[in-house]
Amino acid sequence: MLSDTVKSELERIAGTANVSFAREDLICYSYDATNNPVAPDAVVFPGGAEEVSLILKMANSERFPVVPRGAGTGFTGGSLPVEGGVVLSTERMRSIRGIDTENLTADVEPGVVTGELQSEVEGLGLFYPPDPTSLKFSTIGGNIAECAGGPRALKYGVTRDYVLGLEVVLPTGDIIMTGTKKTVKGVVGYDLTRLVVGSEGTLGVVTRAFLRLLPLPEATRTMLVKFSSLEDAARAVSAIISARIIPSTLEIMDSVSIRCVDEFAKIGLSGVEAVLLIEVDGREDGVERDVADVERICKENRSVEFRVAADRFEVKDLWKVRRSISPALKRIKPTKLNEDVVVPRSRLVELISGIQDIARKREVVIASFGHAGDGNIHVNVMVDGNDPREARAGGDAVRDIFDLTVALGGTISGEHGVGITKAPYISMELTDQDIEAMKRIKRALDPSGVLNPGKIFPSPDTGAPRG
Amino acid sequence: MKSLEEHIKEALKCVRCGACKSVCPSFDVRRREPSSPRGRVALIEASLKGEEGLGGMYVGHIKECTLCGSCLNNCPNGVDVPGLVMAARAEHVRREGLSPVASFALRNMLSSDRFMPWALKLASKLQGLFLKSSSVENGLVSRFSLPFIGGGRLLPELAGVFFMDRRHVRALSEAKGDSSKPRIGFFVGCGVNYLLPDIGESTVRVLKEAGAEVVVPSGQVCCGMPALSTGDVKTARSLALKNLEAFEQGEYDYIVTSCATCGHGLKNIFRELLSGEEDGMSARVERFSSRVKDITELLEGILSYKGRAGEGSGDRVVTYHDPCHLRKYQGISEEPRLLLEKTGLRFKGMKNPCKCCGLGGGLAFSNYELSMEIARKKAEGVRGCGADVVATACPGCIIQLKDALHRYGVRAKVVHVVELL
Ligand SMILES: Cc1cc2nc3c(=O)[nH]c(=O)nc-3n(C[C@H](O)[C@H](O)[C@H](O)COP(=O)(O)OP(=O)(O)OC[C@H]3O[C@@H](n4cnc5c(N)ncnc54)[C@H](O)[C@@H]3O)c2cc1C
Ligand code: SF4
Ligand code: SF4
Repeated sequence: MLSDTVKSELERIAGTANVSFAREDLICYSYDATNNPVAPDAVVFPGGAEEVSLILKMANSERFPVVPRGAGTGFTGGSLPVEGGVVLSTERMRSIRGIDTENLTADVEPGVVTGELQSEVEGLGLFYPPDPTSLKFSTIGGNIAECAGGPRALKYGVTRDYVLGLEVVLPTGDIIMTGTKKTVKGVVGYDLTRLVVGSEGTLGVVTRAFLRLLPLPEATRTMLVKFSSLEDAARAVSAIISARIIPSTLEIMDSVSIRCVDEFAKIGLSGVEAVLLIEVDGREDGVERDVADVERICKENRSVEFRVAADRFEVKDLWKVRRSISPALKRIKPTKLNEDVVVPRSRLVELISGIQDIARKREVVIASFGHAGDGNIHVNVMVDGNDPREARAGGDAVRDIFDLTVALGGTISGEHGVGITKAPYISMELTDQDIEAMKRIKRALDPSGVLNPGKIFPSPDTGAPRG
Repeated sequence: MKSLEEHIKEALKCVRCGACKSVCPSFDVRRREPSSPRGRVALIEASLKGEEGLGGMYVGHIKECTLCGSCLNNCPNGVDVPGLVMAARAEHVRREGLSPVASFALRNMLSSDRFMPWALKLASKLQGLFLKSSSVENGLVSRFSLPFIGGGRLLPELAGVFFMDRRHVRALSEAKGDSSKPRIGFFVGCGVNYLLPDIGESTVRVLKEAGAEVVVPSGQVCCGMPALSTGDVKTARSLALKNLEAFEQGEYDYIVTSCATCGHGLKNIFRELLSGEEDGMSARVERFSSRVKDITELLEGILSYKGRAGEGSGDRVVTYHDPCHLRKYQGISEEPRLLLEKTGLRFKGMKNPCKCCGLGGGLAFSNYELSMEIARKKAEGVRGCGADVVATACPGCIIQLKDALHRYGVRAKVVHVVELL
């Protein structure tokens, strides 16, 4: 609980209209896409770094947690106030301060919705590649904090690769500037930018980001390819990459995902065992050649249908299929244990067939889809959480999947971060020394533990029920 | 109507993914979670489960929904957020009653047996005395305030003689018995009757040109959507019954409307509103609702309207705004565009044609400023494509767009598609 002095001080700092203790707001800032609500004691909407700094300074003296929140679309509970306190929403900090068409950089506030930045720069013939599936409704700040990535990671990398510098308010309230604002190079001091990217709002609050842009590719082609077996599709993926074609998207969907999304989008996919969504971009003549090559390779790997989107409406339709899978899975079972494991690309077939074995062994439904091109697969174990047998089987299946992933030389989270849902598992991948090094950094920057406590590191109270 | 349990079940379908935030017009302006579809579901779910401490703020968020259906269209889990919002409003009305102004407007005016409420008639006579005229590209636009509409906005002047009262329209109240032509029953709706009778005139004219017989049944009343969106289920239901009866007096091949909202009401909402009423009711509703067509759907898809080629000048640019209730609830988006191609005007699409104009769900009355903020993007879209004429297919959208274009200084005419045919 917050004392009355803290409450009125918050109002003084951010303005009464930008602080709320109302039940309605506490309800609406209690959840993210894990759908495991924990209500905060207050929600504050600061307008910039100065206000964030004052709030954090007070948090240190009065000892209350502060939890940064962007759009609340996280899949691991990063923005949930698990220990109460103040949710600090970046929704008010949402201006694109500048786009530099000469240096190809953008200067944005953290609450800017990623898709809105993208359409803004695309209007100028520029390109901000990171494309989490949630791009139309998640924020740059949240993307930076989770180091979000998407289908384009294969060719263009992830959020980390486009952050030049950051304005960050440290947990103690000090405002720092990391990296550079407009230059690609810069090696003065430690690379704190990389430290903050992916730190899940535990090491600082990003209040401004300086991003790198690229020229917009001249042409893009989108293809949808159907297969009658998952292995054929996975082999086609490897063959495409071996042929030195790097698509900007190379997505795979298994039969469970297909069935589910077909019900929502009604696009005649029933009976198909696997689908690849492939996009190539570059120069006009180059993409035509790539399309022909991809088609040939897919046929060699026994594809049953190959379709190229004729216009931008068809492109949108094809993408809608992919973007709808994750939320639509709930049609199968009420509880979705959602993992995003990554293995080296060459081990993809082993991962996918191994997951099918696990599904059979544990008697659960598992939907797999995702970024086949970079070996990042979203594995969704579907159970009814209210059925004790299924809940247990689901938990066991997740553990099996993580074991398999680590055994294949992979990592247990490619995009979604650790937050609370994956905290119990990090020691499967990290050694005690690894974890201790991270904890030391956290303690050094946040000695009183006020910024987003209870995340990433397993502790007695966060090892609790998962999602 | 649905039970509490059914509504809770609907709310529980939401996985809180947030995908709906990218399409919600009120969230687009407010940019705070409680104004998003997801936030509304969370709030309504809490309220349905009996959560304490929800007050005026809750009601405010429930009222700020335009019922546009964009979220429902975009939700991978098919969560009917607007349906939940309507249920929440109905629950609120059940508990607290209607505000005196809304109750006066809805009960006395819309449900009046005769389709000529005295207050409106009086207002149409007197409006010249106390209206400020405003010269706008759009022509007939005046500033006036009726007790139930709220001041400050620009509205088309009330029709001097309401559409349904016109002699030639009254002459159409019964079928002539010519069996060679498809017989169409015309559902007029309030917007056309009181404010934009030219749409009614065009509808009748074009239908005749297309070779149909037009009947305008006299017993028809308001479709009930305004009442329902305020939460007044009782009024909405009694209006629905009256309309059903009015159209059961004759035999029609189709029932047509030029209003997207009426169309959604007659096609979709009637089924829910009148379900479980009495024996045989569902068959009656089905018979009625399955015949309802939007004017664009009827002309393009069924009567294969040819247009009057050669008219109109190719240098005038027309664009099209998709009414939410037409595109998202009736799946009609191609037909009006195909009809526009037959006008001889040059068609140019605007940015985000299917984004809500901000009028719906009573928002234009409950929160005029927010409604106009939502409309700002629409106005910018029109400016951006340089159209001389904005065509759409809903009197509500027309009224809102005229007001918005005026407010944001965009010079373009706003009309119904049928007026261009
Ligand atoms: C349907 C769906 C699809 C998704 N697809 C992808 C995908 O393809 N790839 C992917 O990587 N992710 C994906 N996600 C997960 C999620 O969208 C991303 O993690 C996203 O980056 C979260 O952004 P947000 O603005 O919603 O942040 P939130 O959920 O609000 O917060 C996420 C974390 O960031 C922190 N944070 C937020 N803003 C700041 C800030 N300004 N400074 C410091 N910390 C901050 C929070 O404390 C929290 O720990 C998906 C989610 C959904 C619902
Ligand atoms: S209403 Fe649908 S789109 Fe919106 S958060 Fe819920 S499940 Fe997602
Ligand atoms: S119906 Fe429209 S205004 Fe209402 S919540 Fe859905 S998208 Fe928002």
